[in-house]
Amino acid sequence: MNKSDLIQKIFESGKNAGMTDMEAHISSGRNLSLKVFNKEIDKYSVSESEGLSFRGLYKGKMGYSYTEKVDETSIDIIIKEAVENAEIIDSDDEEYIFEGSNKYEEVNNYYPALEKVNETQKIEFTKKLEEEALKLDSRVAAVQECAYGDGYGETIMKNTKGLELQDKNNVAFAYIYVLVREGEDSKSGFSYKVTNDFESFNAAEMAEEAVNEALSLLGAKSIKSGEYKVILRNNTAADLLESFAGIFSAEKVQKDLSLLKGKINEEIACNKLTIIDDPFMKEGMASNSFDGEGVACKYKRIIDKGILKTYLHNLKTAKKDGVESTGNASKSSYKASVGVFPTNMYIEKGDKTLDEMISTIDKGILIVDLQGLHAGLNSVSGDFSLAASGYEIENGKIKRPINQITVAGNFFEVIKNIEEIGNDLKFGLPSNAYIGSPSLKIKSLSIAGE
Amino acid sequence: MLNKVIIESVLTAALSTGGDFAEIFVEDKINTSISMIGGKVQNTMSGRDFGIGVRIFKGFNSVYAYTNKSDKDSLISTALKAAAALQGPDNNITINLLQTDVKNIHNIVIDPSKVKKTKKVQLMRRVNDIASNYDDVITQVSVSYNDNNQNILIANSEGLLKEDRRQRSRMFIQAVASKDGEMQSGYYGPGAMKGYEFFENLDIDWYAREAARIAKTMVYAKHCPSGRMPVIIDNGFGGVIFHEACGHGLEATSVAKGLSVYCDKVGKKIASDLVTAIDDGTIPNEWGSINIDDEGTPSQKNVLIENGILKGYMVDKLNGRRMNMQSTGSGRRQSYQFAPTSRMTNTYIANGKSSPEEIISSTEKGLYAKYMGGGSVNTATGEFNFAVMEGYLVEKGKIKEPVRGATLIGTGLEVLQKIDMVGNNLTFGQGMCGSSSGSIPTNVGQPMIRVSEITVGGRKGEE
Repeated sequence: MNKSDLIQKIFESGKNAGMTDMEAHISSGRNLSLKVFNKEIDKYSVSESEGLSFRGLYKGKMGYSYTEKVDETSIDIIIKEAVENAEIIDSDDEEYIFEGSNKYEEVNNYYPALEKVNETQKIEFTKKLEEEALKLDSRVAAVQECAYGDGYGETIMKNTKGLELQDKNNVAFAYIYVLVREGEDSKSGFSYKVTNDFESFNAAEMAEEAVNEALSLLGAKSIKSGEYKVILRNNTAADLLESFAGIFSAEKVQKDLSLLKGKINEEIACNKLTIIDDPFMKEGMASNSFDGEGVACKYKRIIDKGILKTYLHNLKTAKKDGVESTGNASKSSYKASVGVFPTNMYIEKGDKTLDEMISTIDKGILIVDLQGLHAGLNSVSGDFSLAASGYEIENGKIKRPINQITVAGNFFEVIKNIEEIGNDLKFGLPSNAYIGSPSLKIKSLSIAGE
Repeated sequence: MLNKVIIESVLTAALSTGGDFAEIFVEDKINTSISMIGGKVQNTMSGRDFGIGVRIFKGFNSVYAYTNKSDKDSLISTALKAAAALQGPDNNITINLLQTDVKNIHNIVIDPSKVKKTKKVQLMRRVNDIASNYDDVITQVSVSYNDNNQNILIANSEGLLKEDRRQRSRMFIQAVASKDGEMQSGYYGPGAMKGYEFFENLDIDWYAREAARIAKTMVYAKHCPSGRMPVIIDNGFGGVIFHEACGHGLEATSVAKGLSVYCDKVGKKIASDLVTAIDDGTIPNEWGSINIDDEGTPSQKNVLIENGILKGYMVDKLNGRRMNMQSTGSGRRQSYQFAPTSRMTNTYIANGKSSPEEIISSTEKGLYAKYMGGGSVNTATGEFNFAVMEGYLVEKGKIKEPVRGATLIGTGLEVLQKIDMVGNNLTFGQGMCGSSSGSIPTNVGQPMIRVSEITVGGRKGEE
């Protein structure tokens, strides 16, 4: 039975059980993941998987269920669970099934050339990546992780309001963690690349980036605790933005879990700061023509020159606020209910290079790595205190590496205290969203060390 | 879950390209989750995870493939796909599966699937009401409920065939306190390898009040000072310090590759004499417990450190081959979508002799970390970090005002040597541990301990 017919059959059962509007997604895909260690294939995993997600209105409430056994034997249980789940919902927020947008932008996430790359080429590349790193410097003790992965996925979404949308995508990624050692001193360096174009993987370049970073941190020591002028290098600024992305979600705002409540059209950041959510960005790993509820995606400025212009909405939150959905309904997997997520979200770049930004600082710190992002920050209060490493800046130049420090502050204050924005926009590894930032010069942050 | 004849033909197909060991893992798991915000049920999700993973070893090489399809043809094609990554003549290994019963040490009383969801919601509402009514400063409460029932079958070319069932239940409580445009939160997430009886026998009211109390305390707290100082870490979830600073570094996953700071240190002193640390998956009904690991090996009590001396590592089958060691029953994975590797279960520092009162009263000046948040570690350099959820300053042997936003950083070898007092009030805390074989339930645990000096990162400058 094909997927569309299976969904139709589920809708019939749902109707018999008393459900009104219904929607189903079926996602299926293939993945390859491989790792090389000491010239040997250390991990090799291939998969073919699928999942079905269902939701439907029962007595006006939305009930959800899912299954990884995508066949007719699952129909009864999917409907039964969804009805039971709908029965206990007592939120007054109205969730509904969408009839479709007037127009959808065309977005291409599928690159046929990527499907033509064979396993041997992938293994060769991964081995080469490790080899390049090992031969770069005698202090490279090991390549902790050297990984390549790719995936193909397709989704079909169908609802009883007559909407039927399909999407297919593929992507490849590689990353490398390098360990360098000098005497008793060990340091790690990391680099990664995510792309739709296998030809753009450059083993030598990736290896060099990771090795150079690790080597430059050898001999790092802590620094005296205090308030310092800080540059958050692009990758760490993106890490921080990603960790606090939830503050822009209308869902959080409406549940009193975001301090941005009531701040629309108010100045919440320095006037140099513009944050964009662009679902149509070229090479954007979260690019899409429609969101998790089938609403057409939209380009938007979340913060425009320091002014908060909009929250991110799905249909439910938009209805509650009396606005239009911004096309940010998330459906991170078939196991997830509909939430709110950004797409390709980034801080608009400025015009200074990182070196130029460094040259303006007499005494300060350049942060190149942040650790403990899942634990050392409070996404509600904006407070963070994170293990970090980087370099001391003195008289406009990098003086020495620093580690075993923490950098602490508050995100809402950080965005007010941005003094300069770099021109080096970089995106992190994609997860539910794809988030990027250029390097940011911050007036002051608390550093704890010696 | 899958008939013996099919399993044997899948394993045979897996070994057709020279593999010397093949394993099949079947998982059928029912999940239920309910989330409530502000006293209203916002979301409920339930569903079934179902899939099959096939793993093949050839010497130190390992390949893995998984699928959601359970018919014979799909499974054989999955096995062949994995096998294609290996090259060699078939060793013609004969497979004789012998099903053995798994001894169940975790008795489940009430099957949560037999409990009405409305009853679960009533319990959540009670938790919500207690936390929201704790104080006027509490402005939002989120409660989430989760139960899951994982049925597994493991079979391998050595003839092993075992089936087991794992029932886990957990609740998360998050309270948010607001004052003068600031928000702070407190949370608690009790869980166990139990059925619905877990909630019926639990003093859930206490947990609800505690989450609210933490949020309230923190919204009134000042920023934590920074610098190096003595730190007292309380029992229970405080054990995350050992989990990060040492536990991950003792997993064969990093040891076998020579990528752990604890390599080649068995029999050597790596911690203060006061430290004895254990990983034990056999504690009845604990959150991180199992009967057998995800390779079919019975779980066991592994002494990792005894009076400061490193005794052993946590070992899975593949890394056991690499290290020439037996599995310690530590092969774990999130689901059929991951190949297993060595992981922790319930990991804790054993009781010492000091009373908590003694530890506090003998501390001149420092930080008392009552509740910890999560953390992370780089096992190759040993550098770890973790967050303090609720902290207080200690002065002249007394607990003084609360402080917020503290993070503790250091290196494992250093902090283990600097544990200078170990209390006698061991308890556990529940967490989800993420690593290369996915996110798995683990317990951390310890009695109250004191570290003589550690770097504390906060927003207030040095005192």
